Amino acid sequence: MLGRRGILKFLVVPSFAWLALFFVLPLVLIAAFSVRVGSGAVDPSDPWVLSTEQFGKVLGTPAFVRLLGISVVMAMGIAALATVLAYPVAYFLTFRAGARAPLYLTLLLVPFAVSYLLRVMAWKLMLGPEGGINSLLGTLGLTDEPLELLLYSRPAVIITLVYVWIPFATLPIYAAMQRIERGHHEAAADLGAGPWARFWRVTVPLSLPGALATFFMVFIPTVGEYVTPTLVGGADGIMYGNIIQGFFTRSANWPLGSAMAMIMLALTLLVVAVALRVIDLRRVAA
Amino acid sequence: MRAQFHSVRVVPALAIIGVMVLSACTGAQQATGEASSPEPAAEQPNELLVLEWSGYEAEDFWTDFQTASPETEVSFEFGDTDANILALMQGGSQADIFHFYTGWQQFYVDEGLVREIDTSKLENWDKVPAEYQELGQIDGKQYFIPWDWGFTSVLYNTDEVDEVTSWDALFNEDYAGHISMWNDGPGAVSVSSYINGWDETALTDGQLAQIEEDWKAQKDLNAFYWSGEYTDLCPAVQDGTVWVAYAWQGCYATALAAGDPVAYANPEEGRNSWVGLYGISADTDSYELALEFLDNKLAETSCSNAVTLFYYGCANGDVMAAIEDPILIEAFGLDDPAILESTNFTPLVTEEQRSAWTEMWERVQAE
Repeated sequence: MLGRRGILKFLVVPSFAWLALFFVLPLVLIAAFSVRVGSGAVDPSDPWVLSTEQFGKVLGTPAFVRLLGISVVMAMGIAALATVLAYPVAYFLTFRAGARAPLYLTLLLVPFAVSYLLRVMAWKLMLGPEGGINSLLGTLGLTDEPLELLLYSRPAVIITLVYVWIPFATLPIYAAMQRIERGHHEAAADLGAGPWARFWRVTVPLSLPGALATFFMVFIPTVGEYVTPTLVGGADGIMYGNIIQGFFTRSANWPLGSAMAMIMLALTLLVVAVALRVIDLRRVAA
Repeated sequence: MRAQFHSVRVVPALAIIGVMVLSACTGAQQATGEASSPEPAAEQPNELLVLEWSGYEAEDFWTDFQTASPETEVSFEFGDTDANILALMQGGSQADIFHFYTGWQQFYVDEGLVREIDTSKLENWDKVPAEYQELGQIDGKQYFIPWDWGFTSVLYNTDEVDEVTSWDALFNEDYAGHISMWNDGPGAVSVSSYINGWDETALTDGQLAQIEEDWKAQKDLNAFYWSGEYTDLCPAVQDGTVWVAYAWQGCYATALAAGDPVAYANPEEGRNSWVGLYGISADTDSYELALEFLDNKLAETSCSNAVTLFYYGCANGDVMAAIEDPILIEAFGLDDPAILESTNFTPLVTEEQRSAWTEMWERVQAE
């Protein structure tokens, strides 16, 4: 007969095993590949000569370093935009939707019923020369011919990713706002605070942890994004993730691709750590 | 302390497990690769997985096999460059059959990824001209079956672009934003070598550096780098997004058949020519079925479809000899006795060259 602790262990073991097998193990392998010499697909039976050669190659190539910087800045911009645009949605669901909030929340999640790839492909059509946006601009007489910069450009990647992330970004903010005691607003009102003052001095500080969580939940996966840039970014919209993908597929150079991935991971963790250090959430909320 | 103890031991343990798993896979692969004599398995599954290029899964390309073996379930996995196909095979692809192009044969044999072909079991083998058969041989053994062949050249929109007479149309700033290059380093090196008159198999470091700079400067002229001929390039050519592209004949044929204003250049530096080869994986459990599939690929209807529907040449000599359509004769240069003299055949590349060229291409893209 299992005790309470035994049952708990029994329940968490599958999750931990799953994560260990499909998250930790691949990560360890990527780290191991990144310190190997040579190029090509990795054969583990080859002698293991550890080296920092691959890291030197990546950091010694200005184009790679610059693209990593661009990708980090793009990811920050996309995360900020998605968070800012998701915030009013979460506010509406929490404080204005009332009994219909569950319905609106369900509608918000409807896009998730459609494959990610299809949603991005839809934007490829929308942004294309004969797509919805160009047709609308033409019909309104705002343009004489299709705008070429819409598709196959960095803005196309940003527009598409912001769209893709907004429903997802709403959820953590919504959860944070739901935890705000209604009594805080009432107390602020009793003390003479108007609607704007209550929003800025009660709602925003108390929902900020959720907003920051949203920012990082969008920022982290966006840094390594490669599917959306492949479909709508064209030659100008390539991100760092595309080069990593290229080294694992087109170039069949796993060690160099692994080193690029580890550098991206380290930088992403560094950005998150620095941000969390600079922004003291407890003080903000207080 | 206990948590630290666990974390310190778990990470190396996971690494060891991972290496063991991969070693086991690789070991099995090598063991099978060494025993690459064509011995049929006792019981073979009635299904085949083919590692293909996007577009080649079209049923027209393997219609004879469908007729001969309708109960076999054929599925496809896709690669988009020769390096990609090789990486997938090296990475443990479960494909029974894989398709790649000239220049990459030696890698598969050296790494034990391919099984020798028992040509005595191929009914259509004698229809393949000897010079094509030889392309699939390494050290006197037949490891690969040649199938499709054709040209690479510049495909262009005749409404938007003047007649193209050189590969340097891909670098023409007048077409900025409407050019599309294949997303492949070796392809880029070939184009630059043709333009500059260099031997691509004997490039100096300085020449390779120049090639890299040229393609970096060219990057902004591209709408996008294409990966899938039918998924990326053709739609963009047909909707007018792309005016000038590095392309194979298949896309040209598709656009032409749709009535689009396109032409396929005969550059003064010469077109590129390639031959597609099929190999049977060293790990396959369906060797006999794979042979039957490849034999039927060489059969008349499948080869004729490749020629008439997609403008690709086929290794079945009887099919090629029967071509009478003037458009096809022109497309294959069958009426031009000097076509082979002005054609650049894809050379064998070394591991070092492959690595240098693909790394160069990733730097170009990151620029």
